[in-house]
Amino acid sequence: MRLARPVRLALVATATVATLALTACGSGSSSGGGAAAGAPKAGGTVTYALDVEPTCFDLQVNPQGITGDIERGVVDSLVTIDAKGAFHPWLATSWKVAPDLKSYTFTLRDGVKFTDGTPFDAAAVKANFDRVADPKTKSQYAATLLGPYSGTEVIDPHTVKVSFSKPFSPFLQGASTPNLGFYSPKSLTRGPDALCAGGSSIVGTGPYVFTGYTKGQSVTLTKNPAYNWAPQSASHTGAAYLDKVVFRFLTEDPVRTGAVTSGQVDIATSISPSDIKTVQADKNLTIRKVEDAGGTYAIYINTVRGATADVRVRKAIQLGTDIDQIVKTVYFGQYQRSWSPLTPSTPSYDKSLEGSLKYDPAQANKLLDEAGWTGRDAQGYRTKDGKRLTVDWPWNPPHTREQRAVVAQAIQADLKKVGIDISHPALDIGAFVALAGTGQYDLYDFSWTRFDPDILRGFFNSASTPATGGQNAANLKDPRVDEWTDAGAATLDTAKRAELYAKVQRQVTLTDAAVLPIYVPTKLVAVSSHVAGLAVDPNGKPLLYDTYRS
Amino acid sequence: MTSTSTTALPRPLPPGPGTGAEPAARRGLTGRTVALAVARRAGSALAVLLGAATTAFAALQLLPGDPVAIILGPSTMASAQVRDQIRHDLGLGDPVVVQYLHYLGRLLHGDLGWSYQLQQPVSALIGDQLMPTVQLALAAIVVAVVLAVLSAVMTAGRHPALRAVASFWELVSVSTPPFWLGILLLTVLSFKIHAFPVAGAQGFGALVLPALTLGLPVAGILGQVLREGLEAALEQPFVTTARARGLSQTGIRARHALRHAAAGLVTLSGWLAGTLLGGAVLVEKVFARPGIGALTLQAVSSRDMPVVMGVVMLSALVFVAISTAVDLLYLVIDPRLRTD
Repeated sequence: MRLARPVRLALVATATVATLALTACGSGSSSGGGAAAGAPKAGGTVTYALDVEPTCFDLQVNPQGITGDIERGVVDSLVTIDAKGAFHPWLATSWKVAPDLKSYTFTLRDGVKFTDGTPFDAAAVKANFDRVADPKTKSQYAATLLGPYSGTEVIDPHTVKVSFSKPFSPFLQGASTPNLGFYSPKSLTRGPDALCAGGSSIVGTGPYVFTGYTKGQSVTLTKNPAYNWAPQSASHTGAAYLDKVVFRFLTEDPVRTGAVTSGQVDIATSISPSDIKTVQADKNLTIRKVEDAGGTYAIYINTVRGATADVRVRKAIQLGTDIDQIVKTVYFGQYQRSWSPLTPSTPSYDKSLEGSLKYDPAQANKLLDEAGWTGRDAQGYRTKDGKRLTVDWPWNPPHTREQRAVVAQAIQADLKKVGIDISHPALDIGAFVALAGTGQYDLYDFSWTRFDPDILRGFFNSASTPATGGQNAANLKDPRVDEWTDAGAATLDTAKRAELYAKVQRQVTLTDAAVLPIYVPTKLVAVSSHVAGLAVDPNGKPLLYDTYRS
Repeated sequence: MTSTSTTALPRPLPPGPGTGAEPAARRGLTGRTVALAVARRAGSALAVLLGAATTAFAALQLLPGDPVAIILGPSTMASAQVRDQIRHDLGLGDPVVVQYLHYLGRLLHGDLGWSYQLQQPVSALIGDQLMPTVQLALAAIVVAVVLAVLSAVMTAGRHPALRAVASFWELVSVSTPPFWLGILLLTVLSFKIHAFPVAGAQGFGALVLPALTLGLPVAGILGQVLREGLEAALEQPFVTTARARGLSQTGIRARHALRHAAAGLVTLSGWLAGTLLGGAVLVEKVFARPGIGALTLQAVSSRDMPVVMGVVMLSALVFVAISTAVDLLYLVIDPRLRTD
């Protein structure tokens, strides 16, 4: 099956075509090869400015998304995933899923070699997965992608069986991410510090080789000339076009914007929405919006503590907040508001929720009256039995990005109008995690990137409470939600999953009022007109294999 | 700041005839004086280092929150098993006294421990990141000294309007936040006029803007101290003598008065080291340069305590080394301080 690229940078040049040799790749539907004018050229370097520097380059240990962004070109995965959530061959040419979803048997591609010369085979798969699952590895993210992993069996050099102790449908999606990509078994023996330090210790099978890292400055990837096993979703075969990719760490927003507008870097990610006008005015740059898949930026409302234990108070918080206005103002109209705990690009997103939570202060006031918060104190906040309606929302500044503190102030102001006092103390990380771990908050906010609706199980299943290291920040205990999320993890039937997860989204948002979805996390990427063929996969990782200089 | 520093100075060299102070200094400095002074200083230096190590360790213990939860951050999916493994590997289950003694024991062997977040030995991290910061600091010192000397020599004791201009730019440079200054310099000299590369530590061109950003505020302070010193020196009788011998005004300033005024700068060395280390944090962040400052910032914001403690030890060491050197230097400069 030949696939269209999931997403493609529309590098449509402006009217001055004469100066541009290349206007190809304008549409998102070309299949394979640069269509029409100007074939892709090999050679050259692309400089890519990133906003975060990873603390550790070991994909199997480090939970930061940025590590995967950098190493997507260095490691390959068993499968690829398309925008609809369907899986396609990559290092695995085919696979069989056991009917109980407790084991997956992969047939591996022949002739694949790591860049240190080691062949990629069933033993390499086993060595990598076993290392991820080993508690000694201290994997903070990759291990969760393996879930209830029970082991990998080498059936023959090209056949491998991965088993789980429970039905585990999210596995194939996990297997498509760089975090379950493959390092050379030889490099795994060099010790965790060598892998964490990056550079030549990181050895994969990918189109690029990790050749250099200067801490505080840059990462250099160079072309792997032997590469010949690109997935079908790529538009060419053989080695990558670029000789070199340099990732520069420019953590300051104005510096990143300045670097790309002055042509000192070719691509800059995470452009601040306030800088977008400057970048759009530049004829040599195109802005590309990449909306993350996964958990939207949302506020989870504690269903078991204080005033928010009453569903009417939770609903009043949802209805008393003018999210449309807040998101539009704070993000200069660049980010979409969200309606569901999932973002629209996530499989099984329930589109019918859109428009369901409208700003309605009158209804919010009515609900609060019904809940018995009828008194008013001198500051105008509601009271019940002499106690003020206070909602605790602790936060930690270093872990708060994208103007989220401003969003919080706006929410605070809106809810004051209906008589709710939002207490929003800025806490040191130590004090913050102490409160978070013990559930001593009424509101808790976060976003989470993953291209699989199974994250809803982490967010709302009662087995996943913060006390046990889970993400159910609302402490929701709804037997129906538990049943649906468990059933979703036990089936790969897309239609069945869509139905189950739609029910979950509706239930937690409208019935339980356990979540207040705010906005869809979006990366604004500025790309120079000299760069073509850059794509982003559904997992949100940049694909530099088809990228070339024009 | 300025006035206290200048009054804290040991009085400059006794006004000798011309440049005759140095031979006298050399005469009175015996090996024994030096050895005693060095031994005394080394003893107190050790005490300071032990104090710094203990304070750093105590600070770590007093911080609220579970260290493992802090290392993992607020949004994590790490399992209980992973948490236990981290706790075990870092020895966080041991009693505090045992942890403290282990820590001191490792320090004695020159082992600063392993970074929680970067999973590298702290000594290797500091070793790798030290050179770029040293380069930056030296370049900033050159910028600061050149600008301060120029400004002071040209304006000290001259027309009030000229002095007003000088103190104005000094005030501006001292009060400008380095963060903003860096962005401003980048915007003008890198984004608009493509004179310098945006960031990074590749070659001389990339060092100019960071060195200016770090050096300018220092130049402001040094310039003020230097001008006050110069003006004091210019009122000394030997200046009149030199003038009577027919030396030019500029010659006197550059060759004689400046030398006296510069003695005041020696006292500022400790302050200078602190300012440069602190300033490096901001400058390295804005210009995306590798270095100790960038490392410190990353370590502090992620609560990577072994790295923070390593940097504390490094700064303590730098301060102790500088103040020891300065104390010994006074013995060379000012014979009146030699008690034997």
